[in-house]
Amino acid sequence: MTWLLDFYNYRIVAQYLDRFAEGLRNTLTAAGVSLVLSLVFGTIIALALLSKRDAFHRPAAAYVAFIRATPLLVQIYLVYYGFPALLPFAKSWNDMYFGIAALVLNSTPYIGEIIRAGIESVPGGQIEAAKAVGMNYGQRLRYIVLPQAFANTLPPLLGQTAVLIKDTSLLSIITVFEFTSAGILLNSERVKPNESFLTIALGYLLIYLAILLLSRGVKQWLAGPAWNAQA
Amino acid sequence: MLEHYWSVTTSLLPFLWKGFLETFYVSLVAIVVGSLIGALIGVVRSQRIPLLTGLFGLYIHVLRGTPFLVQLYVFYFVLPNTGISWLSWDSRTAAFVALSVYTSSYVAEIIKAAIEAVPRGQSEAATALGMNRIQRLWYVVFPQALKLTVPPMSSVYVMIIKSTAILSVVGISELTRQGEVSILRYPRDILFIYGLIAFIYFLYCYPVLRFARWAERRVGMARTVDLD
Repeated sequence: MTWLLDFYNYRIVAQYLDRFAEGLRNTLTAAGVSLVLSLVFGTIIALALLSKRDAFHRPAAAYVAFIRATPLLVQIYLVYYGFPALLPFAKSWNDMYFGIAALVLNSTPYIGEIIRAGIESVPGGQIEAAKAVGMNYGQRLRYIVLPQAFANTLPPLLGQTAVLIKDTSLLSIITVFEFTSAGILLNSERVKPNESFLTIALGYLLIYLAILLLSRGVKQWLAGPAWNAQA
Repeated sequence: MLEHYWSVTTSLLPFLWKGFLETFYVSLVAIVVGSLIGALIGVVRSQRIPLLTGLFGLYIHVLRGTPFLVQLYVFYFVLPNTGISWLSWDSRTAAFVALSVYTSSYVAEIIKAAIEAVPRGQSEAATALGMNRIQRLWYVVFPQALKLTVPPMSSVYVMIIKSTAILSVVGISELTRQGEVSILRYPRDILFIYGLIAFIYFLYCYPVLRFARWAERRVGMARTVDLD
């Protein structure tokens, strides 16, 4: 067993278990809060992108283009240094708030594009039928379009969730204590790169595998009983 | 005010240009090397060779399931720590290898999907003509699969360019790192300098994104975030 202890001393990892747990909690919190907020803003962006009015369509398209064509790390720096300078209420924020704000800003366009594709996948006849029975825009959205769009967006949304969780690792650079930070802490205190970075790599991999399995289950579920009987 | 920003811009532009050239160089190396490795893996995976398919599947899932920052730390801290002499590389080599390997995992899946998207009848017809596996792939499947890879490969290229910013944390003098150094000279203009950097990335990435969208309309292959 000595070769294993030489390569990967799990006893050191065990000593830092509570730090890893704390980091993991913060990672999941940042990703979870960002996901919920991005879904809300993403829906607004999707509706703006689909709008025929230039006043809605143009700013949304410019925002999406800017986010897609610049690195997340630079966006994080812009939020981290820009928000306190430009927004008075952001002066008292802690690092976690800036991290979540940056992640929401970054993932909203991607989620917006997914929702837009989902809305466009709802057949036009559905909307015309809703108009024919006298529903207004809000009712059509609430009862006809969004429920059907949701089913079509679920698998890509899970993929985007996996991306979001991986992206939280960059928050370690603005000193949010998330999962990667726990590994960096271990390495800086004990100079044990294997125990530090292989542990967090494994942790991220397990989260990814959980989402992957969930995604496969959802695809089977959405395909319905007839499809599953054939397969 | 405006004059101040103008003088900051003109005095920093040579440094940022140097940083941009490094970003350009790293992204180019990563797309070329990553595509070569990825193409090899993708072709092997599309052929469903028993042991190799599973092994390369593991490779792809490990690389897609962990953040690039963590992979970079593994290549930068863990591998030189293994005691194997040729793995004790400097930070620049570690960064280049890490980004190329990361790229290959995305390319492999694109190549595999493109090969599988070519109708089976094409391959079967080639078999009927007496072509062997290599001939079928080379003369019949590859030429048809190639154009399908153009839109997703452009998206991957943009992703690589954006990922090069992360290389700044191990001290590679690319655009983001050069910006951070510039901030030491003009600490009060930190926001302006990051804005400038974002703008330079935008000038590099946006044309590629437009090209990807144009190619997508021509080829008609969906570009969604999908786990499988």
